[in-house]
Amino acid sequence: MSARDEGTRTAGDGAVPVLSAEGLTVRFGEKTALSDVSIEIPRGSTVSIIGPAGSGKTTLLRSFNRMNEVIPGSSQAGTIRFAGGDLHSAAMDPAEVRRRIGMVFEDAALFPGSVFDNLAFGLQARGEEGDLHGIAEVALQAVGLWSEDAEILEARASDLSAEERRRMCIARTLALEPDVLLVDEPTSTLDPAAAARVESLIHALRDDYTIVFATCDHTQAGRLSDLTAYLDSGRLLEYGPTQTLFTNPRNPRTEFYLTGRLQ
Amino acid sequence: MSAPARSRENHRVRRWLRALGGVAAGITLAALGMLAVVLLLNAGRSPDAGISASSGLVSALAGTLWLALLTAVIAVPVGVGAAVYLEEYAPRTRAWRFLASVLTNLAGVPPVVYGIAGLALFVRGMGLGPSILAGGLTLAVLTVPRVVASSRRALASVPESLRWNALGLGATRWQVVRDQVLRAAAPDIVRGCSAALLRAVGAAAPLLIIGAAGFTTFAPASPGDPLTALPTQTFAWTARPQAGFPALAAGASVTLLFVMALIGLVLWDLRRRHGEARR
Repeated sequence: MSARDEGTRTAGDGAVPVLSAEGLTVRFGEKTALSDVSIEIPRGSTVSIIGPAGSGKTTLLRSFNRMNEVIPGSSQAGTIRFAGGDLHSAAMDPAEVRRRIGMVFEDAALFPGSVFDNLAFGLQARGEEGDLHGIAEVALQAVGLWSEDAEILEARASDLSAEERRRMCIARTLALEPDVLLVDEPTSTLDPAAAARVESLIHALRDDYTIVFATCDHTQAGRLSDLTAYLDSGRLLEYGPTQTLFTNPRNPRTEFYLTGRLQ
Repeated sequence: MSAPARSRENHRVRRWLRALGGVAAGITLAALGMLAVVLLLNAGRSPDAGISASSGLVSALAGTLWLALLTAVIAVPVGVGAAVYLEEYAPRTRAWRFLASVLTNLAGVPPVVYGIAGLALFVRGMGLGPSILAGGLTLAVLTVPRVVASSRRALASVPESLRWNALGLGATRWQVVRDQVLRAAAPDIVRGCSAALLRAVGAAAPLLIIGAAGFTTFAPASPGDPLTALPTQTFAWTARPQAGFPALAAGASVTLLFVMALIGLVLWDLRRRHGEARR
């Protein structure tokens, strides 16, 4: 049984993957970041991508919402399908793709201005004319940043703590009501207590979103994900239910990585 | 401390610093301004070729304000636009590198050379004569490469992750540039434009070459009027042998300083507002 079959089988209602890559190869100039990766993300599941630094975790996340193509010199082979359609077909507007497959970047840059400005930007870019404050409120509630006096909306984004910034960046993405949430290193640069709180936020979001996240903390992958993918030098070496992959990895390199013996 | 409380605290500190800066700038400006007003009142409105007592600065002052306006209106949009194109849109080809290095080198060309180019191009070529318009165009051409250089630096210092985050929220390239990148870079862009503009306002050499008048009987009221400006007027007075003119030249240079401080203040205020939006 291939890893992919196993992944699909364990996926709740999982007959139809919401996202899938087939023979995905991504190059930046001469450097190959991903080679021949095939993976299916079942709808409603939480998938973690683990692997050593430079193994292509971020590149894989970014290829799911067409963010690699904005990097000069990047090229791609293979296909990615989203909700049954080709992600790169002419009918797919990259801006629309990025709204429906939202991404929280590891380096979550703050936009100039207030928290409200940060949340409103994506909505205004979409041409949203409805109640921006209402949408911002719902999104901030979802990440636990809301307080009754609504004062947070007017706070300068740069006055937020690292944890609050991370939460705000998640809210920024949630405000667009994406189908899929991509999160790159959800808790990097946070102290352990803040990391634990943000992790429980991601855990709470699992009920409402299909989540794909990359992490270099594989214990976090163990705590949060249904399925885990192990990337190594741009290759997908193993993909399957998190429990199986952690307790009984089939590839020796996966085991080396998980046990800290990968040189 | 919660984020809103921190916001208030920072805001208070900023307000005090701003007030302090405002007072210092105000005192300096008032002193310079008083000097300039005394000079303008003392000196008559219609200067005479040989008589220092009836030589005034009104026409030179009006000329400088015209030149500042023309230069700003032409050089800032062209320069910032070119910088945005080069940094945010243009693919990094060999032609890009060539164009970028030409622009960088143009920023280092001495103003005298621009004066000769302006003489050939605007005064003679386009038949504008030694007019305010020809002077403004010459100063604008001199200013554009400097605006491009400083604006490019400002745009390049905006972290790539800001663009990624904005694109990742489904914004188009132009929305990202207009709403986030330019906003983040605005304080540095305004700072660079201010410096370039003030240098243009203070430049005498190119205007002397294209034929600024050292003697005018009326203040320029439109861009077609004869070219006159504070730096060239200062220069013209220093060249006169009669007693009284050296004092006038000194007064003119104080006035030039005052005008530049005034323009600088306006631009500083602009930057302050944009800087505030950034934080």
